[in-house]
Parts: sequence; C-alpha cells; structure tokens
Amino acid sequence: MDTYVIIRRNGWRTADDLAAAAERSTAEGSRMPDDIAWIRSYVLAERDGSLGTVCIYQASSPEAVRAHAAAAGLPVDEIVKVADTVVVRPDPVAAAASKVS
Amino acid sequence: MSIPTSPLLEREEELRALEGALASAIAGEGRVALVYGEAGIGKTSVVRAFTRLAGDVARTLWGACDPLFTPRPLGPFHDIVHGAGSPTLAALDPERDRIELFAALLAELGARPTIAVVEDAHWADEASLDALCYLVRRVDRVPCLLLVTYRDDEVGAQHPLRRLLGAIPSAVATRIELAPLSEAAVAELAAEAERDATGLYELTGGNPFFLTEVLAAGGDGVPATVRDAVLTRALGLGVEAREVLDLASVVPGAIERWLLDAVLGHASAAANECVERGMLVPNPTGLSFRHELARQAVLDAVDPERQAAYHRAVLRALEAQEDRDALLSRLAHHAEGAHDREAVLRAAPAAAKRAASVGAHREAAAQYARALRFADAIPLEDRVRLLERHSYECYLTAQDGPALESIDAALLCYRQLGDDRGLGATLRWRSLALLNWGRTAESEQAAREAVSVLERLPPSPQLAMAYNARASLASLDEDFDAAVAWAHRALELADVVDSVEARVTALGTLGLAHGMRGLQDGRALLEEALALARSHGLESHAGRTYVFLGMAASRERSLAQMRKHVVAGLDFCEERDLDVWDDILLAMRGWLELEEGAWDAAAATVAQVHARNCILSSTQANVVLGLLRARRGDPDPWAPLTAAAEVAERTGQLWWLSQVAAARAEAAWLEERPELIPGLTDAAFAHARERGAAWPMAELAHWRRHAGIVPDLPDDLTGPFAAQAHGDWTSAVEQWRAAGCPYEAALALAEGDECAQLLSLEELNRLGAAPAAGVVARRLRARGVRGVPRGPRPATRESPAGLTQRETDVLHLLAEGLRNAEIAERLVASRRTIDHHVSAILRKLGARTRGEAVAEAQRLGIQDR
Repeated sequence: MDTYVIIRRNGWRTADDLAAAAERSTAEGSRMPDDIAWIRSYVLAERDGSLGTVCIYQASSPEAVRAHAAAAGLPVDEIVKVADTVVVRPDPVAAAASKVS
Repeated sequence: MSIPTSPLLEREEELRALEGALASAIAGEGRVALVYGEAGIGKTSVVRAFTRLAGDVARTLWGACDPLFTPRPLGPFHDIVHGAGSPTLAALDPERDRIELFAALLAELGARPTIAVVEDAHWADEASLDALCYLVRRVDRVPCLLLVTYRDDEVGAQHPLRRLLGAIPSAVATRIELAPLSEAAVAELAAEAERDATGLYELTGGNPFFLTEVLAAGGDGVPATVRDAVLTRALGLGVEAREVLDLASVVPGAIERWLLDAVLGHASAAANECVERGMLVPNPTGLSFRHELARQAVLDAVDPERQAAYHRAVLRALEAQEDRDALLSRLAHHAEGAHDREAVLRAAPAAAKRAASVGAHREAAAQYARALRFADAIPLEDRVRLLERHSYECYLTAQDGPALESIDAALLCYRQLGDDRGLGATLRWRSLALLNWGRTAESEQAAREAVSVLERLPPSPQLAMAYNARASLASLDEDFDAAVAWAHRALELADVVDSVEARVTALGTLGLAHGMRGLQDGRALLEEALALARSHGLESHAGRTYVFLGMAASRERSLAQMRKHVVAGLDFCEERDLDVWDDILLAMRGWLELEEGAWDAAAATVAQVHARNCILSSTQANVVLGLLRARRGDPDPWAPLTAAAEVAERTGQLWWLSQVAAARAEAAWLEERPELIPGLTDAAFAHARERGAAWPMAELAHWRRHAGIVPDLPDDLTGPFAAQAHGDWTSAVEQWRAAGCPYEAALALAEGDECAQLLSLEELNRLGAAPAAGVVARRLRARGVRGVPRGPRPATRESPAGLTQRETDVLHLLAEGLRNAEIAERLVASRRTIDHHVSAILRKLGARTRGEAVAEAQRLGIQDR
C-alpha cells in the first residue's frame, strides 16, 4: 500500500456533519481493510465558515481511495501520493469538535 | 499465506436482531434468542461478536453443553454459576433443591443486565433442559437475554430439545437461523488467505467452519480436523451402513438408491441408517453427503483398492443403463477411478463433446485432458484429434499454456503421420492462438508456414482459414490493402470449397479491415458474419465478431453502437463460457465507460479485468487506467501506460501502438509537458501515415498540434479529431456530442471563445477532470475573465437543504420506496452508512418520517437534481 494525501475543501457545513462523515469513513474503511487505512486528518477552517479536511490514508491505489470516498459519501478534490514523511514537532492537541464552527 | 481470522461476513442482520432482543431485555423485558444452523455455520462466532458488541451494556455469562456420552448434569449452568461468582448459588445442591436452584438462578440472572449463553443445546442433558424450560417461561420479568445455540440438523422430531423449543412463548423468542456464506463472501475470504477461490464454494457449501479449515490447511487435501469430525461420526454406523457410506463417497453429487441396490444388493435399511445419523441427506435424486468435504473425508479413509473396486461396480451399473448420454461425465469419472482405459476413452471424449455442445467449455477441456491421460497407446490419428479438441477448449477458456502444449504435440503427430492437411490446419490454428496472446511475430510465422504447407495441396477450407490468418494480422496492423487482399482470397476459396466456417471468419476479418476505417463501411459485413455464425452455431466465431463490432465502433467513437455490441457480446460469451472473448469485451467495456464519463465504473471494470489472465485485455485495461488517472489528476498514470506500451511494442500492431501513443500524449499534455509529445508519438504517427490509417493519424496529429507541430494531414480527412486539428472547434464539438463523448467535447469547447470556454470549464468540473479544468481556467484568466472558479464547486453548496450528492442519491432511492437494506445494496455501501445518510436527510429536511422527507424534497425541487 502507498500513502496518499486527500484534500477535501469546503466539504461540510457543521462539525456534526463532519463527525457523521468520520463515522461513515470508518465504517466503509472496515469493509475494505486490504485496500484502505485511514491514518489521520486535519480539519480545515474554510473562509466561508464551512469545514474541509486534509486526510492521510494508506491505500492500494488511487482508485481504492475514490471507491472508499464514494461509498462513504466524502468529496475528493485532489489525491497526491506521499513521497516521504518529515515530522519536525509533535502535532498540536486535537481541538474538540465543539470548538470548531 | 495468511490464515483468515473468524470470518464474520454477512451476519449484520443477525447481529442487528440480537441487538434488538438485548435492548428489550435491558429495558426490563427479558428475551430468548435461538441461534441455530448446521455444524460449522459459525454460531459461536456470531455469539462472540455479539457479546463483544454489547460491551459494557450487559455482563455475559457463558455455559456450554458437552458432547459426551454421559454429559455433566446441569453442565452449562455450572459454568454460568461459576461466572456469576455468587456464593449462595454455588452452595445449592441441584439434586435436593432443584426448584430452589432454578429460582435462585433466575434471580441472579436478573440482578443486573445479563446475557446468559448456553451453547450446543442439542447435547444438553435432561436437567439442563429442565432448567431452561423453567427460565424461558419467566425470563420476561428480568433484564436478561438468554442466548441458546444449537445444531438444528441434529434436532429431529424426537429430540429432547424439541420440548424446550416448543415451550418458549413466542412473544419472548427471537429465532435466528444462520445461513451459509454466499459465493461472494467465500471468494473474499479466499482472497484474504491468498488462495484461489475456484471451486471453493461448491466444495464447502459456504460453510464457514469448513471454509476456514480448508483455507488454513493449504494444499489440496481435506484438513485433518474436518476429517476427524466426519469420521468420528461415521464410527457410529453399522457395518452395512458404513459400506453404503463408503460407496457413496466415490460418487460425486448424489447416489441414487437404485445404484446402491445394484452394487450392494438390498441396501435400504443401511442407507436409512446413514440418513438418520445425518451422514447422508436425501434429495430429489438420491442420497448425498452434506458437504463435499465430508465426502472427501470418508473417501480418503477408503483404501485405494476398495475405491477402484467401487468405481468398477458403479461403472458396470451405469453402463447397463439405457440412457447413457445423460451419464457420460459420470461414466468418465468412474472409468478413471476404475483405471479402465477403454472405458475412459469411450466415455471422456463423448462427455467432452456433450459439454462443449452445451457451452460448458471448462468441463469439456477437463474431459479431453482426462482422455489424453489414457491415450498413450492409441493410434496417432485418434490422439491428434484429442489434442486438437483439447487445445481448442483450453483456448476458449483462456488456458493458454495447456492449449499451446497440445497444439505443439499435435504438430508433432501430424509430422509423424506425414499428414500435410492436418499440419497446415494446426499451424493456422497455432497462428490464431498466438495472435490472441499478443505474440504477433510468432503468429505471423505460423500463418506463413500454414499457407505454404496447404498451398501444396488441393483447395481446402483449411487453406481459406490460413489466408484469413494472414488477413487478420494485416488488419490489426491497419494494413488495409493487404488485409482486404488476403480476406478476399479467403472468401473466394471459402465459396469454392463451400465452407461456412471459412466464410464467417473471412467476412469477419474483411469487416474489421473496413471497420478500422469507420464503422459504416464495415458494419454490414460484420453483421452478416455475426448472423451467419450464430445461425450455424459457430459460437466462438460469433464471440470474435462481437469483438470486431466493438472495435470498429470504438475507432470512430460511436459509443452508443459500441455499447450495444459490447453488452450483447458479454451476455453471449458469459453464457457460453467463452472466456477468451469475454475478457476482451470486458476490457472494451472499461474503455467505453471511460469515454462515457462513468469514471468510477471504469475503475471497477479495470480491476475486474486485471484479475483475469488475458494479456491483451490487461493491456487495454492499462490504457484505460492510465487515461483515467491522467484525466482525474490522480497519482501514477504512467505506470499502467508504460506497461501497455511494452506489450504494444511487442505486438508491433498499429491498433495498439496508436492507442498507447495517443494516451501518453494526452497524459503529457495534462501534466503540462507538451514537449514530450513528439517523442511519444513520432513512431506511431509515421506508422499510421504509412498505412494511410485515417483515424489514428487524425488523433495523433491533434495531440501533436499541442506540441506545436503543424498537422500535415490529407485534406479529405474527416472526424472530430481532424476538425480540431484544422481549428474547426464548433464542428468538432458537435461531432463529439453526437458520438456521446462528454470529455472530448469539453476539450474541444476549450478551443473556442470565452462562452465556449466557460461551458467547457463547467463540464470538466462536473466530470471531475481537474487537470483539464485547470488548463481551461488558466486560459480564461489569461483572457482577463474575472471570477473564474478555482476548483469544483463544493458539494454542500449544490442543494437547497445542504444535502450532499450522496445524500441526494439516497433520497432518490427513498422516494422509490426502497428500504435501507435495499439502498445499501444498490449503492454498494454498508447498511450503517445508509442509516447515517437517512438520519442526516431527515434532520436536514426537518422531517420526522421518510415520507415527510420525500414530500419536503419534492417541495424544494431537490428531486430533479
């Protein structure tokens, strides 16, 4: 499996919508464990008040990423393959969902 | 190889039912859940999964009944009491204080939310059954879910468990029967264990336990544990019954009662004993084992000499029958088991012929292979016929290696026999097979040799077919003149020797040669060939003609026509096991879906094709995959395109070379590296030019224009690519739209004025063609157009109520009246996801019920999106 960055801009109106999407992503991911594994995501505060995400997944192919997204009802703006990971500092603590909106 | 963990596929409904029962119990109204099915169906797995799911909501107490000759009295309840850890309960003496014990048990189970599991109740001792009867009548007063599992096939009318089952009040009972796994689930588990799934479903009947054992064991034999399970049970049979069982084990499928009697004399009583013990089950035709694996296990325990003796006896009995035609494959099977060479050579070829005539080519290939195993001593003339038939059936079922082996063995035979007619025909056949495997140079050589050998003899259908082989090679290289010349020679000769098969193939090749120039020219010929092939039962030729029709339509992008032919061809070939054409048609369907803009479908089709074993189809699929990724802007378009290029180079045929060159040129353009285009297309363009092949020339010239190469095309060239190459974008757009190609139409629009470019951008965004959309957006901005969107519009903005595209899809299906489970199946998503979507829809539309949601959606006009 390769690692991919998936960019989903302006995908959701509220944190609840995003949380529901996360559940669906997990559910669909568990149906195709050999093809896709969700690693992490950063939630984006879009200018118009909506939310987007930058997601890191491992997947067997870009097509698997898209198939997973279609099944879980997630938008896909762009898929980019990860060449290397460089961690400089640990991530800031994840903001609680209620703080974002 | 990985051993699959507990296969809990296809048990969602069952778990849901258990959850429902538990919910009721927790609310204070206890329930009884009965989970049953055959041995190995996975009752324990389901129960374990369920208790895990239940988590902290209720405690779980486990008890199991013993499969001993004298089970522990109250065995399962000892376990449960132990698990509860209650000292009072432990102190009670079952023999003295039975009712007191039962009451205390009930109280303990109701002390807090509890799941009490009693496994394998078909082995329950009498005391445990009494306890269960007591509990089921009172469980509705306590927060307890009583979960009882049992093997229903061991619980006959007289079985003690029946009493309990009848005693459960229906309001309190949830009955959950576990069904075997579906074929798809079996394939999934096999894939996980990296094993070939062929025949696994038939072998195991979808029984999870058996399946797991087989996958864990690896190799071909039956795993020891299943064998042990089966043989232990068989130990209980009387001598005569065991003989019935052993005899039945050499007969695959079912053994008829008359056959049993014919071999063993009067066998009913013994046979009935087998049935009562559950070793054999009656079905309409006779008696059979419950599982193929069980049969295998019993068979393995029968020593080889007795096996052969049984086979001989069955063979005699079957041979004495009148209607032997219906028994051919069985005769062949028993003949082999009896090591009776003559009988095999009598039955197997006949069985093969029969199978081939009903389109079961896999079975036919296997029967010919069986005959060949016994054919060493037969005359060469007969052996060579078997070899030819075998190779043909293997060819049809995409078994390239065995096919070529048999072909070459046949060639040897004909040389030994000094039979030039046979030699020539087989060489021609070799050429055809190699052509299909992409080995063009070898195919050409075989075709030349075939012609030269056969021209030494008087005119024959075989010579006509050899001429056609030359024509085929020429047409795939788009050497129109040569193809037509050879095809006409073939056609003339076909009429002289009055061979329908030769006529059909020649018409097909001629039609393809014309079709390469545009469907109109070739269609009449191809349709004539198809009709002739079908009416004369020449199935493989019909399959080939479907492929040619598809190719001709694809050449000029007549997508509607192509779809018609490809779909009809797929149906035709699937029904008749014509893998060789089916694989190619499937790859063509992938290309079709790409061009139609159905990109997700194309991706799925490509994955299907790659799972098969056909190099040319995989190459077509790689072209599709490369273009798909390039057009979407997804990573790695070049890997599949390079793989396709390698195969294309090896074939040296323009049909492949031009496709690959055009695809790579497009990928380069989309990556904004037009400087690569000349290098990628020079050779193919020159080749196309040399052949005078209009379509490939126009397509390649169009891409080369992007690299600044002024198109040097004949003036009379038509078609959308030519129009675009000459700058006539309006005509190109019209033609692309008429053809049904939204992506190419959008690209053509991009060459137009500002209005056209805005339209183009919208269309490209709709398709998800990010790179092309980026190119057009930049052009617009360069013109000074303001407010050009930077990317596809966000999904949530589309719909008034803020429904996503996916939610809108679900809403459409809700409006059609589908239930969640049906929607999940239709959209290929999990049930849970659909439940989430429906909740979200209700919430966003402010509706309390599905009906309200549909009405509200109609009011808002969401339905029309």
